Amino acid sequence: MKRAFLGEFEEVVLLTVAILDEGAYGVNITQEIEQKTGRAVGFSTVHTTLQRLEEKGFLSSQMGGATAERGGRRKRFFTVTSAGRRALQEVKQVRTELWNALPPQTLQLMGG
Amino acid sequence: MKTPPRFVTWLLKTFGHPDTSEEVQGDLLELYDHWVQTVGQRSADWRYSLSALKLLRPLAKSKTANEYPPPFLLGPSMLRSYVKIAWRNIKHARAFALINGFGLALGIACALLVFLVILHETSYDQQQTKKDRIYRVETVNASDGGPHPGTYTELGVVLLNEAPEFEAVVPIMNKWQRGLTIPVTGEIFKEKVVFVGSGISSLLDYQWVAGNAKTALSQPNQVVITESYANKFFGTANVIGKTIRYDSKQDLQVSGVLKDHNQTTNFPFDVLVSFPTLKRVEPDYDSHGWSGFGDNFQLYTLLKPGFTPEQLTKRFHAIQVKYQKDPKTIENQHFALNPLSDIHYSFNFSGRQANPKLLRMLALIGAFVLLIACINFINLTTAQALKRAKEIGVRKAVGSNRLSLIYQFLTEAGLITFLAALLAVILAWITLPSIATMMGLPLTIADLFTWKVGAFLVGLASITSLLAGTYPAFRLSGMPPIWALKNNKLPSGERSVTLRQGLVVVQFTISMILISSALLINRQLSFFQNADLGFNKAAIITIGLPSNEPEKLQTLRAQLKESPQIKDVSFSFNSASAESNWMQGMQYRKGATPIEIKTQMKMGDSHYLDTYGIQLLAGEKLKDTDTSSAAFKVLANEIFLSRMGISRPEAAVGQKIYYGDGNQFATIVGVVKNFHVNSLHQKIDPTLMQVVPNNFYQAGIKLQSEAPTVEAIKTALATIEKSWKATFPNQLFGYDFLDKTLADAYKNETRTAQLIETSTLIAILIACLGLFGLAAFTAEQRTKEIGVRKVLGASVISIITLMTKDFLKLVLIAMVIASPIAWYAISQWLQNFEFKTEISWWVFALTGLLMAVIAMLTVSYQSTRAALMNPVKSLRSE
Repeated sequence: MKRAFLGEFEEVVLLTVAILDEGAYGVNITQEIEQKTGRAVGFSTVHTTLQRLEEKGFLSSQMGGATAERGGRRKRFFTVTSAGRRALQEVKQVRTELWNALPPQTLQLMGG
Repeated sequence: MKTPPRFVTWLLKTFGHPDTSEEVQGDLLELYDHWVQTVGQRSADWRYSLSALKLLRPLAKSKTANEYPPPFLLGPSMLRSYVKIAWRNIKHARAFALINGFGLALGIACALLVFLVILHETSYDQQQTKKDRIYRVETVNASDGGPHPGTYTELGVVLLNEAPEFEAVVPIMNKWQRGLTIPVTGEIFKEKVVFVGSGISSLLDYQWVAGNAKTALSQPNQVVITESYANKFFGTANVIGKTIRYDSKQDLQVSGVLKDHNQTTNFPFDVLVSFPTLKRVEPDYDSHGWSGFGDNFQLYTLLKPGFTPEQLTKRFHAIQVKYQKDPKTIENQHFALNPLSDIHYSFNFSGRQANPKLLRMLALIGAFVLLIACINFINLTTAQALKRAKEIGVRKAVGSNRLSLIYQFLTEAGLITFLAALLAVILAWITLPSIATMMGLPLTIADLFTWKVGAFLVGLASITSLLAGTYPAFRLSGMPPIWALKNNKLPSGERSVTLRQGLVVVQFTISMILISSALLINRQLSFFQNADLGFNKAAIITIGLPSNEPEKLQTLRAQLKESPQIKDVSFSFNSASAESNWMQGMQYRKGATPIEIKTQMKMGDSHYLDTYGIQLLAGEKLKDTDTSSAAFKVLANEIFLSRMGISRPEAAVGQKIYYGDGNQFATIVGVVKNFHVNSLHQKIDPTLMQVVPNNFYQAGIKLQSEAPTVEAIKTALATIEKSWKATFPNQLFGYDFLDKTLADAYKNETRTAQLIETSTLIAILIACLGLFGLAAFTAEQRTKEIGVRKVLGASVISIITLMTKDFLKLVLIAMVIASPIAWYAISQWLQNFEFKTEISWWVFALTGLLMAVIAMLTVSYQSTRAALMNPVKSLRSE
């Protein structure tokens, strides 16, 4: 099976899209990440990452309906594809395995 | 609600990634609102700008393929479509296309001919390989302004020794008309002959058919002729060693034959005699003279590579100090090197001299006429295009974009221009011979078909189609389709009407400037013709005198006097008014400081006053015996008297005038009324007349009748020729009419007048064509309005007035603009003349009237037709 390459930020964005479910688009993804992680994220970074994830096949997108808000411009909504879901699970599994392999006393020493 | 920085938004819209452009703009707008509420506007602006800048993808292209790609607008199939539609449109509106095309053709033909003339005048000696190093030594007098083309003969001898910067120094002595006899056949030719130094072959690119370039002109009595002259003289090109007799005194051996020279050269020499021969045929010739110089002896030099003429200023000064000696002359005079490229614009041996001012004026007129034609095109196309509003609307509705419409209109302009250019070439072809004669240019049809003319024509046609086609193209393609389809007319029509009127005013202004200039120049010319010269120029025939031995002249006079047609004969240096004059410094000693008077010397016999009808105011006439140098007797004119400070003619009689070394003097025995000794370009010089038989080169023959018939002239000429031939056997007879010779002095002005008249005619013609088309269009537009007016009781006259009034208003505006411009231009031109007409206001009034009448005639046909139309017809049709 092909290994999915997910960068840390990519993983965060992908997860956020998954969390937001149907209504994920540029603005609320950015705001959600800022809220949940507490770090300042630029819109342009998020936008670029979304594009890259779509190119990799982890996200799909479609344009929403026209609204009178935001200058009449439509939104692009993102959904996680099955490949995206698989990639997320894989990443999570790798992490879990790695956590499990960690001897408990080491963690205690680090946490000191 | 706040809005983000507009420039950044524009940047994002223009340079963002096309695939995500919409949602990115939307997202950022939404975020901006959020930021404004949370962190304030300043930070929001900042964040917005930063994000937008990061999202610019200026080079990105859309990845989604268009389902129906628009055709490449300049592809072959589209081009074919443009041409096809353009051709259909031209055929559809034939009258408009014809007016357009013909006007443009006239304009292009004008520009083409102007180009030919300028090309010819600027091409002189451009083919010489050493042209950048060839200079003429000119003599500059501080006192009389411009440089003189000639110089001292001695300079040619010393220059090579004194100035090592020169590679070659070539003296050229020009003799305009000399008798050449071919002893073998006994034929006599009158030809231009030049005496040249042997260095000429290293100066100019000569191709030798026979003879040696180095030795052919180094010995006395050698002559080199061109191939065509060899054929003319001997009927063969194999002429080495044959004999030509110069002026029936000296035999010359042909030592070389040259290929014929180019037409565009300032050195069109056909008979070149070696320079040492000059001393043999003219023993009086002073080859080491520092005393005086004339235009016909010129010195051409070849500078060594790397030297500039400025470097030689010191050398020339040193030569002056060493040889000329006289400090006063050195102060007043210096020598200058004039490059070959400038020689065609001053006096030169080709007999043709280009006038840069005239050339510039010509270019200006050509541009003007072309401009008028282009304006026509713009006016007619925009006017006509109102009718095409529906077509444009439909085209736009089915998906034609603006660019393709622009291409379409440009193609139409290009097609008409192309056809016009073809017509222009034909027009130029037909008119070239007469233009060449008018301008005195050796242009032939062959000059019309060269690559330069071709390139010019292509360039001109492109510029013209852009000039004429761009405005209509952009104007018509830019209108919204819904307007065109709904109203069947262009929106904001008012504006385009004003522009059209403005252009018509420009046309009329140019036409009126040309008309008033033509009128004023003609007034000046007729002033020249009819001016009172102070002598009588009518019915005088002048003939040259090959020699002036007193006995011969006596016999000639006796024979001529026998004829009943001849009233009087006078032998003299030149005519009462002539282009070449003898100037001399004179001195009148009255008070402590002597008065220096620069005087023109007229040398003539006792019959001079009677023959030319010059009036004697006081004293007595000269006698033929007044030649003794011990007691010179002279006549003075009034100007001379006023310089002397004497007001009464009687008082001047008996006064002494000193000249030469200061001890020689002449006594005034009579005073003559002023007469024009120069052309009317110049003032009347102080003049003295005396009897010097040695300097009689011309005979003036006054006929009995003031206005002789053709027969009388013929018989008189026959008698003159018979007596002349009897007196001077083996010489070629030639004669001139004085009034014609005098008129020749105004050749330049006559040429200018003809030029302006011709271009005026063409300009008016083109402007009228345009006006006619415009009037036709207006009449058509207002058909319905006129119908309604007629139904309501308007008379035919009132409708014609209504239609014509608009155009007359334009003429009036044009007159106001044109008059001061023309006045200024002509007053500048009149500065050239010492004696001139006044510019009277009625000339401009007349011009305006003329233009109004022409405009009215042009418009009236259309307006009358519109006014006479049956209103039932015009109102019924929708």
